[in-house]
Amino acid sequence: MRAFTAILIDIYRELSSKRLFWLSLGLSTVVVAAFAMVGINEKGMTIFGILLEIPFVNSTVLEPGEFYKLVFYALGVRFWLAWLACLLALVASAGLFPELVSSGTVETLLSKPILRYQLYLSKFVGGLLFTALQITMFCLASFVVIGVRGDAWEPGVFLAIPLVTLLYSYLFAISALIGTVTRSGIAALLLTVLIWGFLFSLNLSEMLVNSFRIAQIEEIAAIDRLVATQREKDVAVDTSDLTLEREEAVSTLATLSKAHQILFITKSILPKTEETAQLLQRWTVHAANLEAAAADDEDETQSKRSRRRGDGNFGTTRARERDVTAAIERDQHGRSLWWVVGTSLAFEAAVLAWGCRVFSRRDF
Amino acid sequence: MPEAAIDLTSVKKTYKGQIHALREVCVRVERGEIFGLLGPNGSGKSTLVKILLTVVKPTLAQGTMLGRPIGDKASLARVGYLPEQHRLPPYLTARQAVEFSGSLSGVSRVDRRRRADELLETVGLRDWKDRRVSGFSKGMRQRAGLAAALVNDPQLVFLDEPTDGVDPVGRKEIRDLLVKMRSEGRTVFLNSHLLSEAEQVCDRVAILLQGRIVTQGHLNDLLQLKGRYVLQVRWSGSIMELPGCETPRVVDQADPLLAHYIIPSSEPQGAQAAIDFARARGGVIESLTAERQRLEDLFMRAVTDPISGEALPPGAAP
Ligand SMILES: Nc1ncnc2c1ncn2[C@@H]1O[C@H](COP(=O)(O)OP(=O)(O)OP(=O)(O)O)[C@@H](O)[C@H]1O
Ligand SMILES: [Mg+2]
Repeated sequence: MRAFTAILIDIYRELSSKRLFWLSLGLSTVVVAAFAMVGINEKGMTIFGILLEIPFVNSTVLEPGEFYKLVFYALGVRFWLAWLACLLALVASAGLFPELVSSGTVETLLSKPILRYQLYLSKFVGGLLFTALQITMFCLASFVVIGVRGDAWEPGVFLAIPLVTLLYSYLFAISALIGTVTRSGIAALLLTVLIWGFLFSLNLSEMLVNSFRIAQIEEIAAIDRLVATQREKDVAVDTSDLTLEREEAVSTLATLSKAHQILFITKSILPKTEETAQLLQRWTVHAANLEAAAADDEDETQSKRSRRRGDGNFGTTRARERDVTAAIERDQHGRSLWWVVGTSLAFEAAVLAWGCRVFSRRDF
Repeated sequence: MPEAAIDLTSVKKTYKGQIHALREVCVRVERGEIFGLLGPNGSGKSTLVKILLTVVKPTLAQGTMLGRPIGDKASLARVGYLPEQHRLPPYLTARQAVEFSGSLSGVSRVDRRRRADELLETVGLRDWKDRRVSGFSKGMRQRAGLAAALVNDPQLVFLDEPTDGVDPVGRKEIRDLLVKMRSEGRTVFLNSHLLSEAEQVCDRVAILLQGRIVTQGHLNDLLQLKGRYVLQVRWSGSIMELPGCETPRVVDQADPLLAHYIIPSSEPQGAQAAIDFARARGGVIESLTAERQRLEDLFMRAVTDPISGEALPPGAAP
């Protein structure tokens, strides 16, 4: 325990000796301050006291509390925390593990009565803790801003702390491994960012292919429904056109399903950075989405329009747009927490174990 | 026989399956002595120390350190280590670096505060305690590193070339520190290729050569064993050979009739025949000095290939 505390203090000293650490803290403050400067009233949105009249964005449509929450999730979490702050934290911490294994210092550390894997994990947990601390500070400040400005005290904001820390931990484990193997902070940073980009595009392609796949399923269902209604009216009606269309859709679906399966399996093994960040929206903005869907239902003209040929979504022609959207959303939300977080953590554990192994076996 | 501080019966290390850094090492270090491990570059000195400190994994390690098997982490709490070319984290002050080292060794907060203060004064960094290590000169870093190695009040201290980069005054201070540690009952294991230094402080030495210990023993015994006499004779005519002596040498070219003879004997009797012989032929004895062999001679003899007569090249033998 004494050693762990010492390593924590040491990490703090190492990080705080870097300009980047203070830069990211400073930027965090700026983001929160900007957040506090954004306001909403009956006429529209204000930024630094300047009124912007954007349709639907005023306090008659959107409660100020809702507005702040929306800004917090859309910009504060999804953009700032999940992207920029994570990146800054990666940059700041990229040197931690190369420093750990650098010759001249590693000998002293290894000659202490601490097991090697404990050293490695202490450094990892320590690095993580400092990022968590930064995220906590940001969330706390945002909590106050939403409370004071929007008059909504929203404890859900703090869910961002474990989620963003989790997301960061996947990447930090990779950066730690690369830093240990290559002994270079730059290599650790660049390769980690590259892998992050790969994970992001993998997620994007999986999402897209999946949307097309689900749309095809809806399309087939829509055709079936259409055939059924036509048969109901007139048993002898000629539906060969529709049958042809259906066959085409089935074969497209088969191709899409195969492609999706490959992407999905790949994604299942790898950490899911995007989906982890999205969990927050899934839990907190969930209710709002449902209401929006209900409002959509009432908007009959829109659904009628969607029923026309050629106006569908994701390559569909017959399925109604809102059916497709709802089906995609159902599928997304059907992915269990275990699948999103559990498999990502399993990957992280494997990367950590690998790093420990490399560190434990090497001669310094 | 009391328990030794280090008792190695067999240590071997092969790096990456091909570099035989240590072939067969058998060393015994008694408690409370200063032990010097000498050897040319690449002979495996640092490798041996790193194995004892679990920095390098041995291929084979039989033996004990402080009564525990090699590789036992817990016993390292009572061991201090100054690595070769060590580097203190540049973002720490000297005091922080020493205290960090202490806390990793499990020293309580109060103790490490006190000892950091004391040690930094001992190594002469009184005015630099709260300055960042990044601004230190090489010798100052070495001093700070020494303080960091001693913060856990170790029973056994490993110093891998501690005087590297330290000025003459600092070297003297470090030597005095070693002697002081010995008087406090600590065991010091010193890696060095500065033979004159080792000669001044070590009780016992071992010479490591291409991964094998070639000589080991008390310094006095080793040097006595191969002691010699130097005889200076002034001739009036030409220089003659003397019985029992090596070939005469003229040291001072301005004085070509003064010959130096080396008598390879540790007993004065060995010189008598040569003296009688020289006097009988008109030689005047200028001086006879008993010359304890210097460690350097012992070392050079150990590292010289007896067949080719050349010193062995650095690095592990293939
Ligand atoms: N990490 C390593 N990987 C591979 N070979 C190594 C490693 N460390 C040392 N060696 C090799 O092992 C041999 C012994 O090296 P070692 O550092 O123990 O020598 P040394 O006696 O301390 O030399 P010096 O006096 O120069 O410090 C050398 O031939 C060296 O090339
Ligand atoms: Mg060495």
